[in-house]
Amino acid sequence: MNGFEGLMHGFALAITPTNLLFGFLGTLLGTMVGVLPGLGPAATISLLLPMTYALGSPITSIIMMAGIYYGGMYGGSTTSILLNIPGESASVVTCIDGYQMAKKGRAGAALGIAAIGSFVAGTVGVIGLTCIAPPLSRFALQFGPAEYASLTTLGLMLAAYLTGESIIKGLAMVILGLFLATIGLDPVTGNLRYTFGTMILQDGLDFLTLGMGIFGIGEILSNLEQKMSSQLVTTKITNIWPTVKDFAMAKWAIVRGSLVGFFVGLLPGGGAVISSMLSYAVEKKVAKNPEEFGQGAIEGVAGPESANNAAASASFIPMMTLGIPGNPAIAMIFAALMIQGVMPGPLLIKEHPDLFWGVVASMYIGNVMLLILNLPLVGMWVQLLKVPYSILAPIIVMICSIGVYSMKYNSGDVIMMFIFGVVGYILRKFQFDLGPLLLAFVLGRLLESSLSQALLISGGDFSIFFTRPISATILSCTALMILMPFFTRLVRKFRKSGSGVSA
Amino acid sequence: MKKWDRLAALVLFLIGSAAAWEAIKIGYGSFRMPGPGFYPFWLAVILGVVALIYFLNNLGKDPQVVALWEKGIWIRPLMAIIVMLGYGLLLDKLGFILDTFLLFLIWLLVIEREKLLTVALVSIIGTTAVYLLFTVLLQVQLPKGILF
Repeated sequence: MNGFEGLMHGFALAITPTNLLFGFLGTLLGTMVGVLPGLGPAATISLLLPMTYALGSPITSIIMMAGIYYGGMYGGSTTSILLNIPGESASVVTCIDGYQMAKKGRAGAALGIAAIGSFVAGTVGVIGLTCIAPPLSRFALQFGPAEYASLTTLGLMLAAYLTGESIIKGLAMVILGLFLATIGLDPVTGNLRYTFGTMILQDGLDFLTLGMGIFGIGEILSNLEQKMSSQLVTTKITNIWPTVKDFAMAKWAIVRGSLVGFFVGLLPGGGAVISSMLSYAVEKKVAKNPEEFGQGAIEGVAGPESANNAAASASFIPMMTLGIPGNPAIAMIFAALMIQGVMPGPLLIKEHPDLFWGVVASMYIGNVMLLILNLPLVGMWVQLLKVPYSILAPIIVMICSIGVYSMKYNSGDVIMMFIFGVVGYILRKFQFDLGPLLLAFVLGRLLESSLSQALLISGGDFSIFFTRPISATILSCTALMILMPFFTRLVRKFRKSGSGVSA
Repeated sequence: MKKWDRLAALVLFLIGSAAAWEAIKIGYGSFRMPGPGFYPFWLAVILGVVALIYFLNNLGKDPQVVALWEKGIWIRPLMAIIVMLGYGLLLDKLGFILDTFLLFLIWLLVIEREKLLTVALVSIIGTTAVYLLFTVLLQVQLPKGILF
C-alpha cells in the first residue's frame, strides 16, 4: 500500500460513525482539559487507559486519545489568554503576550489567531507524519538490539537535556526512572529484583499507577498549596476574527512556529512544551520590534500556539515508527497501544496498516473539528473556567482511583498510586522535572533487553555499539550532546579571560 | 535552593548506594555472563556519580534563604495526603460508593472549607453520578462494601 492509497483507506476507516464519534469526543475532551488548569492531556489519557479495554477496537481508542492530545494544545491557549494561567504546560509562553492582548480588549483576536495557527500547524504536522513515518519505519527495520540500545540512550539523554532547567537533575530523574523499571521480574534471567519480599512488587510497577500518581495526584497536591483564584478578564469577547492586519503580522509567525514545532516534536524528549518556548524565542529574535513582546505582540501568541500543535502531531512519528515515545502524553498513547496488544515500532505500519492510516486520517479530520469547536464556541469554554478547582480536585482523585483499581481489582494499587503522588509532589518541591522520569520508566525495559541482547550477540564485547554504522552514528550524536555544555562553558570562560586581558 | 539541592543530592546518593548493594546481593555475574544484578548495579553507579556532580555543583551559600515549605503552606497538601491514604485503605471495607461519598464530604468540608450547601450538593450529586456512570452504565467492577 503506498502513501496515498493508505491515506484514502485511512479516511474510509476514520469516517465510520463510531470513529467519528470517538474522534469528536477526544477532541472535545482534549479542549476541555486543555482549558482547565491543573489537568493536562497526559493525565487525562492515563485516566482513560482502562477504558480502552472496554472500547475493544484499538483504532477507535487511539483515535480518541490522539484527539485528547492535540485537542489539549488548542484548549490551553484559552486559559493562558484570559486568565494568565497556563491551561496546559505547553501554553506557558502564550500567557506573556496573550494576556496583555486580552487586557487591551483584544482577547478575541488572540483567541482567534491561536485557533487558526493551531489548525494550520496541526495540519502541517499531520502532513509531515503522513510523508515521513512510512519511509522512516522502513529504515528502522534495519535496527537491531545495538541500534535500539543506542537510540534509547539518545532519547533519554535528550529528555534530560531538553526538559527542565538543570541537566544534572534531569539525568538523575532519568536514572531513577530506569531503576523503577527494574523492579519485579528480571526479563532475562527471571529473578526477582527490588521487591523487598512483597507480593505487590513482583509483577513490577505499573505504568498507570506510576503515571497517575506522579502526574495526576502529585499535581493536585502541588495545586493545593495555593487557593486557586481566578481573575477572568471580564471584557466581552465580541470579535473572534482577527483583522486583516493581524493576519498579515501573524502569518509568518505561524509558518515559523509550525516548522519549529514539527522538528522539535520529532526529537525524543522534545514535544509541545519545549517547542512553544523555542518558537517564542525565535519570534522575539526575528521581530522588527522586539520591544513589543510582553506588551501584547500577536506573533508571541501565533508562533508558540502553532508550534505546540505541530509538535503534538510530529511526536507521533518516533513513537509509531521507532517505538520511542518522546513525551509523557505520547508515552500514555504508547501504553494504550501495548494494552491493545499492538507493539509500537518499525513493524507497526506494516502489520497494522488500518490502525496507522486510520489514526493519521482521523487527525486531519480532528483538526477541522477543533477549529470549529474553538472559533465559534470559545464562549462556552470560558464558562467552563467558572468550575472551581476545589470541586474538580476530589473528582480527579476519584477517577484516578477507579482507573488504577480496575486494572487488577486490587486496592493496594490505589494506595501505591497515592504514595507515588506524594513522591511526585516532593520531587516537584525540589524542582525536579518528572517527564524524564516517566519516559525512562517506559523505555527502561527496552533499554535493558536490547543492551543484554546486543551483548549476547557480541559475546560480551562492547565494541558492537561502535562498529555498527547506525549505532555508531547515534552514539556520536549522544556524545556530542553530552560534551556540548562543557564545551560552551569552556569557550565562555576562555572568552571572558580573553576579554579580561584585552581590557 | 542550593541547600535543598545538596540535600536532594545526598538522598539520591544514598539511594544509589543502597541499590548497588542490593544489586550485588541479587547477583552481579560478570561481563561475559551478566547476572540479574548486572544492569541495576551499573545504573546505581551512574546514579551515584550523577548525585556527586549534582552535589558539587551546588556547593556554597545561597544568596538568600529559601524555605521549601513557606509558613503553613504544607497544611492543605498534608491533609489531602491523609484523606487520600484513608480513602485507599477503606476502599475494600466501606465499598466504593460510601468511601467516595466520604471522600467528597471530607475533602470539601475540611480541606477546601466550602459552604455546607455546596458540600452536600456536590457530595450527593457527585456520588450518584459516579454510581450511575461507572457501576450501572460502564459496569466497572468496584469494591462492594457494607452498603452497596
